[in-house]
Amino acid sequence: MPSSASSEPPSSPSTNTAAPATGDDLQPFFILHKALPRRPEKKAPASAKRKIDLSTSSPTSADKLAVGPNHATYEQLRLDAFNIVWSKIDSTINEVLRQINVSVFDEVHKWVLESFSVIKSCNLTSAPEIHSQHPLGNDVICKQIPTAMLLTKNAEFVDYLLTFQELRDYLKSMGFHVSNLSALDFSAKYGIAGCLRSLLRQLVMVTPDVADVSVLSSWYSEPDNYNRPIIIAIDDVERCSDSVLADFIRMLSDWVSKLPVIFVMGVASSNTARKFLPSDALQHLQPCEFTLASPFQRMNALVEAVLVKSCCGFTVGHEVAVFLRNYFLGHDATITSFIKALKLACTKHFSMETLSFLVVHMLDINYEVSLLGKCKLLPVPVLTHAFDLPSCKREKDTKSNSDDLATGLSELRRLLKNWASVILCLYEVGKLKKMQLLDIFCEATDLRLSSLRSSNNKLDRVSLSSKNLIDGRLAFHGRSITQIINTLRELPVASLSKVLDLWSVHTEEMDEIHDKIQELHLMVQSTKSGTSFQEKQIDCHRMKNPSGVGKTSFLVNDKAAALLGDMVRKFLIPVESRRFHEVVCFRDVGTLRTALIGNPRREIQVNLLKSKSYIRCSCCSSSDNALSPTMHDSSVMYNLAQEYGDLINLRDWYHAFRETVLRGRNKLKCRSPVSKKARLASESDEASIQARFCSAVIELQITGLLRMPSKRRPDFVQRIAFGL
Amino acid sequence: MTAEGMILRTPTRRITRSSAVTPSKTSPLSPPSVPCPAAEPSSSGDRDPLSLDELLSLLPGRKPQILELLRLIGPSNSPMLPVLLYGGPWTGKTATVLRVFQHLRRRFVYASCRSCYCPRILFETVLDQLLCHKRRRENGYWSAKRCDKPANFVDLLRDALIQATSAQKSCSSGENDQMIYLIFDNVELIRSWDKGSLILQMLFRIPDLLKVRNVGLIYISCALPDAYYSMVGSSLEPSYIYFPDYNYSLDDIHNILIRNQVNPKLYSCFLSVVLKPFSRITRRIDELAIAFKPLFKKYCEALTDPRLIPDEAAKRRLFDHLQPHLTISMNEIFNVPSWSSSEIDKERSINQRGKLRNLSGKEASGELDIHMSLSAKYLLISAFLASRNPATLDGALFDSTGGSDNNRKRKRKSFQTSMDKQDNLAEEILIKGPGTFPLERLLVIFQCITSTVEYEAEEVQLENGEPTEGSHAHLMSDVLLQLSTLCNANFICKSNSCPLEGSRRYRSMIDEDMAFKVARRVNFPLSKYIYRR
Repeated sequence: MPSSASSEPPSSPSTNTAAPATGDDLQPFFILHKALPRRPEKKAPASAKRKIDLSTSSPTSADKLAVGPNHATYEQLRLDAFNIVWSKIDSTINEVLRQINVSVFDEVHKWVLESFSVIKSCNLTSAPEIHSQHPLGNDVICKQIPTAMLLTKNAEFVDYLLTFQELRDYLKSMGFHVSNLSALDFSAKYGIAGCLRSLLRQLVMVTPDVADVSVLSSWYSEPDNYNRPIIIAIDDVERCSDSVLADFIRMLSDWVSKLPVIFVMGVASSNTARKFLPSDALQHLQPCEFTLASPFQRMNALVEAVLVKSCCGFTVGHEVAVFLRNYFLGHDATITSFIKALKLACTKHFSMETLSFLVVHMLDINYEVSLLGKCKLLPVPVLTHAFDLPSCKREKDTKSNSDDLATGLSELRRLLKNWASVILCLYEVGKLKKMQLLDIFCEATDLRLSSLRSSNNKLDRVSLSSKNLIDGRLAFHGRSITQIINTLRELPVASLSKVLDLWSVHTEEMDEIHDKIQELHLMVQSTKSGTSFQEKQIDCHRMKNPSGVGKTSFLVNDKAAALLGDMVRKFLIPVESRRFHEVVCFRDVGTLRTALIGNPRREIQVNLLKSKSYIRCSCCSSSDNALSPTMHDSSVMYNLAQEYGDLINLRDWYHAFRETVLRGRNKLKCRSPVSKKARLASESDEASIQARFCSAVIELQITGLLRMPSKRRPDFVQRIAFGL
Repeated sequence: MTAEGMILRTPTRRITRSSAVTPSKTSPLSPPSVPCPAAEPSSSGDRDPLSLDELLSLLPGRKPQILELLRLIGPSNSPMLPVLLYGGPWTGKTATVLRVFQHLRRRFVYASCRSCYCPRILFETVLDQLLCHKRRRENGYWSAKRCDKPANFVDLLRDALIQATSAQKSCSSGENDQMIYLIFDNVELIRSWDKGSLILQMLFRIPDLLKVRNVGLIYISCALPDAYYSMVGSSLEPSYIYFPDYNYSLDDIHNILIRNQVNPKLYSCFLSVVLKPFSRITRRIDELAIAFKPLFKKYCEALTDPRLIPDEAAKRRLFDHLQPHLTISMNEIFNVPSWSSSEIDKERSINQRGKLRNLSGKEASGELDIHMSLSAKYLLISAFLASRNPATLDGALFDSTGGSDNNRKRKRKSFQTSMDKQDNLAEEILIKGPGTFPLERLLVIFQCITSTVEYEAEEVQLENGEPTEGSHAHLMSDVLLQLSTLCNANFICKSNSCPLEGSRRYRSMIDEDMAFKVARRVNFPLSKYIYRR
């Protein structure tokens, strides 16, 4: 779902919120309830009418917690809050992803200009000459097409769809002719005509019935189009048919002196092209590689902007963070799915957490005043609910008035801010060791680690799992903060001063820490000049003893490490241990997991077995589990199948099914005397029941709950799914 | 269908575009109304005429072929036999023909079967050139005539030729029957077209079919004439001119490469250094030119003034500068430099690259330069194993419980005894390359691998006394999605369905290095599972 990152306008996310609100995201299918069989003698229609009230069909946990008489208004408030917060997050994401590409785009632009000027200077012909068919004999030995290879370094392509779109738009805005060919154009089925036709359609804007390159050349010779490079962007080279692409390159290389074609190709790794194309096509390319930001870089930037610099009023708890991290590393490894997961978490949070609408007021510039004002207006049940939150119950001195809630929330916001600054400081050092921000984030949100940290100062002993055989990176080990502090101890002076520079930017609002950092910075400056002086003086001495660069610098490193340790202990307290954190923090990892990964087969089984609880019709009471003939055939059959073991005898099953189906009818029939006509009818009934039985078996097979009879045991079907 | 029929059809197709203009353009009488000088369609009109000496000097090493071609073409008013020029790629066939016509200043029509990739485009290109038709926005980029059948083409071609000759007569000084030459380049490509043999047959029989005296045909092909023997058939057999590779004389190569250089002296110094070692690897002009391009840039880096003519000392200095790059570039097939805007960056990156290259493939950084998810990595390993190992060994290597190490070792020992019998099998595997496997086998291996891993991981977690959840679900979820990702990235390729079983089969495309890199990333003992003899 790339749209979550990009296309969806922030004004209309309501369509997305509707689904989670029902509390049942995965609805593979609903088995509808049949009406009772019409009685032959027509009675008053009112009695046959069933009432299905779907309005209350989906109770969520939030509904149970619903407070106050005007619960609906709060729901609306939460929806609004979600819209505001998500649109904020969404725009942040877009901005981050755009920013991360800007420099690469700029380089590509410069490269295009440079290669175009090279083409022009050596072999581009004048406009009238383009018309001639034959290659002009100006002795170009190697007819090469400049090719920008944009390395994605990612097996999955989804994340880059948007990037390439932006790149094309960017180049178009620079006044180049840009056309975009996708892998669909390079299919073996249509051959080279397919890609040429697409090319002509985009550039020349006509669709001739035969796609001929000479059309392109004559189009290019028109004064409007002349003297601008033609950029052909191929997003995913790996997916193209290699022979067609090679033909395309060979053909265009013949036209190189007439058409200034420049390729921009998206490739996964730098030797893709080498493996992919035959050498005679390859030699027509004059490649140049550009590297797009790696998935980890993008991930870090995203986490920094969305979760850490949490200006958006939404954050996630430790378990959710670890889940998101593992989901990213182990499952899909795309930013797109990460954003999707984040959005789901956000919707779940706002649909489940009653007080989450208060977040809007925490976002204000003068949030303290705004919160105070808002909290005063809250009715008593809402307030009691607020002080019933587990995080609040933990603390003994609950005053439970509105001011307390307001101050609690403002405090929470302030603490979050400090917490974020410390994480950023940690990350500045971690960057040097190529740590991922998400790892640090996971560790910083961990309650156990933080309690261990506060209980004993020896950070080194805080290690959860010693070794993990799966993958050092999937298993979250939680030692990165210790590592970071150790790194700081061994940092050379130059990079230390850089780090301190960055720290002082991050901690601008924390006066006390900021001062300490400035102090350290001064010390570093002095040692720096001192060492440089020393270097000049006793260079040979240093050669002998490289470790003793100077005790002063060692001292500074220690001090910086101590300061960082201090900051961690003081400010890096997980949000989950704060009061009222439930308002901004999403912690329910189970909900997220089911919503994201789901378990379709289980969902199908539940729907089959408990269809009554979904369809609350008035005709059958939902309390008893008895099978009623009005249920859907598949549902009846699957309920019956529960009584069997591994194998189901078809004959028994059929009889049980027939009994169930006929039960309702016999009640009606016993009144009327049995006539000849009725007997005929019952025979035809038999046939129809058999037909229904067959179709239900097939349905169960299609849903993957049954295996059909084998040749060895023609009377038995096999159950595949057991239990829920 | 007659030519008139064709012509009548065209305006109706073009009705959307300026219909007022079209009739005059399409009518067969239009070319005379548009002043059409005799040499217009050829390039020789716009270019300086070449003398014979210039012609020979422009194409070094091609003197016999040029003279032979000139002899076969003959004077401008005498008919000629068809000529087939053949020889390997980059031997100067096309260049020779075009230069010869520049020298002769005669009218010709050129069509390359590479650009004209289907019969219709080929025919229409030829007709357009004969009729001096240009595709423009005004005429909707349509060709002059619509023609997609060989039979139609012959008729239309005859008409066009007559028309062109009459136009020529009216323009030029009344000499009778000036020749028009048709040049078909890359004829060998036609063989792979749909109904290619029919079209080739028609092309080679054009002189017979047309029965027009003043047309000369020249075919250029990379394939040997034997390839066309059956198509030429009973008709007039063309005369052949063979263009040999520049195999024997370095001087020819030297002379070709040195053309169009800004500073020939400097370039000749450069060539004297590089040409000899490189000529042992390849003598193809294109490959040499591409390899020399970056090298020459590097060669010039040490110079302050590129127009300088180097003396002995400077030559030595330049050689020293170049030497470290030589062997690297000889081993490189397709070098992808990275681009950076500022010069300093460029130099630095070049230095780094040089160092990397010197270290070269042996310890070539265990880094995997492609990002994928953990389950994709395991899937890739299992695909590699499935392709590499014979299917009969799966039972021995993996048991269904995904058992512990001891178990596996025991099984492998028992398998050792029967090893000799399977020697032949092993050789077969090596010869055949990666094998194909059905989806089920891949999934089973995947499950075995991941379950082994999870089994070990669980043990560790039990020691620590804190069971963590999640990893299992993560590895197993959406395997098919991951598989399609890998297929799309060309790591695994889908082959056509097996005719007997009817199910799709897969094949792993990665080499052993890559597989080991991936395995190292996930700490998977791949070498234990690979079947070696």
